[in-house]
Amino acid sequence: MMMMMMALLRSGSSKILPRYQPSILPRFLHSHATSFGFKQDEKSKLVVNVFSTVASTYDLMNDLISTSLHRLWKDRLVSLLHPFAGMKHLDVAGGKGDVAFRVLERMNSVSNKALQERLADTEEVTKIFVCDINPNMLNVGKKRAIERGFGEDRSLHWVEGDAEALSFADGSMDGYTIAFRIRNVTHIEKALSEAYRVLKRGGRFLCLELSHVELPVFKQIYDYYSFSIIPAMGELVAGDRASYQYLVESIRRFPNQETFARMIFDAGFQKVEYDNLVGGVVAIHSGLKL
Amino acid sequence: MLKSSPAARRLLAGIVSSRRIGSPFSLLQLSTAAFDPASNPSTHQDQPPALPTPETSRSRENDGEAHRRSTGKREGVSYQEEQARVLRAALSHVPRLGWSETAMILGAKDAGISPSIVGSFPRKEAALVEFFMDDCLQKLIDRIDSDMELDKLILSDRLSKLTRTRLEMQAPYISKWPQALSIQAQPANLPTSFKQRAVMIDEIWHAARDQGSDVDWYVKRTVLGGIYSTSEVYMLTDHSPGFRDTWNFLEHRIKDAFDLQKTIQEATYLAEAVGAGLGNSMQGFMKRMFQK
Repeated sequence: MMMMMMALLRSGSSKILPRYQPSILPRFLHSHATSFGFKQDEKSKLVVNVFSTVASTYDLMNDLISTSLHRLWKDRLVSLLHPFAGMKHLDVAGGKGDVAFRVLERMNSVSNKALQERLADTEEVTKIFVCDINPNMLNVGKKRAIERGFGEDRSLHWVEGDAEALSFADGSMDGYTIAFRIRNVTHIEKALSEAYRVLKRGGRFLCLELSHVELPVFKQIYDYYSFSIIPAMGELVAGDRASYQYLVESIRRFPNQETFARMIFDAGFQKVEYDNLVGGVVAIHSGLKL
Repeated sequence: MLKSSPAARRLLAGIVSSRRIGSPFSLLQLSTAAFDPASNPSTHQDQPPALPTPETSRSRENDGEAHRRSTGKREGVSYQEEQARVLRAALSHVPRLGWSETAMILGAKDAGISPSIVGSFPRKEAALVEFFMDDCLQKLIDRIDSDMELDKLILSDRLSKLTRTRLEMQAPYISKWPQALSIQAQPANLPTSFKQRAVMIDEIWHAARDQGSDVDWYVKRTVLGGIYSTSEVYMLTDHSPGFRDTWNFLEHRIKDAFDLQKTIQEATYLAEAVGAGLGNSMQGFMKRMFQK
């Protein structure tokens, strides 16, 4: 990691990666305000491409900051979810499709296929809904689905929506996941009560989020890493120190494991538990609706 | 260690019944903390008071569980009851599908609950097997309490009848029982299954109302545990009608154990007598030797 950063410093990162100034991002978010001088559909393709690049920069930053652990964390989230054939699953704010693809891959795995044959008499159709407030992220996700070979898969449904006001019917989902996004929701209680509303009886709520570290020595190391190294990396790689400074601060402001568990319980869930990964850097909270 | 006192018996029964409802929970849940709504809501502690240090385990104490069960109830049912309902419904699918998640998923559908609940069991198939074991133990206790004829039998017959009653409960699942045994033998599940068997054997000995005190408490449990396990394994390959051969096997093993006990006693007496006799003859011999 250190070697890579030194190489970046020496070569001047503009040759390796495009630098995005923070001011460009808000402009692209309101794509109607920009004009490339092309026809409308070409412009939307360009917007998708821009977002693809932005998304891959996000991905690269995710890999760098978490030393690729975020992939394992998402794997663990899906493994705790324990998807089954015929499931109706909702992944909220997962526009790029990371969690949804993992759920799909698990469903299509060999062992699950055997299970499917045994449950064939039930004829329930698997549906995985990916909900995101940002339609451009959904488009990026759709593109990635095609790249991964899920283009023909009719289980994936891409829906635009707000975590605080979901457009799904009451009691229609078997599972609900939200990965690294509940921190950014304005009213967390609303999102939790919406999650409770759309889940069926027996449905499970799972939330993967950066959380609080309390282990004595590790806490100091983690704090130093968060406040000194992450913003510097953000500056070097994505040219955006401010966003990553904000990221680190928002993690500290987010409720700790116990408080968040209390919030989930207050929304109506039972059997509220949390799983600390890497000593509390990441926590997976789960709740059962009955 | 617990002696056969009424207090000890009630304690064991208490553990059994609380675990019956909460049996899907392992007492060895590592690195997972369960939120306790009964904990003091005003203090935002990092951990509830009952938990040990973060480096070790975040397992829930059994009394903490019971505490949560009594205070964490909502207007509807508690999740432990729902989980028990799902497992009970799943048992009807076991003879066809084995002790598997498929059976649990179908059980959930029968119970009218989303199969997602299967994901909330910590050790899936083991939860089903443990539920069955707890259920059988409860049925056994009920049978013991309602059976009036037990006192009329001698000790070996009492033990034989009780063990047979318990083994008969496994008869409907006998085709899939090897799978259940292998699940119980897995390292993660071994402590719980061992504990369940120990409690069951203890319960049988209590019901047999043994008054003798010549052989040690541990030896009794170990011997009966061994007889139970061997009969259980014998039953797996027994194709006689009504498992007749297994019950013969069981009775013979129990008689052997009692005979062995008698034999050991007699051997002890014989050794004492021989030792005494030898000692006498040696004395006499030495006397005659040195008199000359």
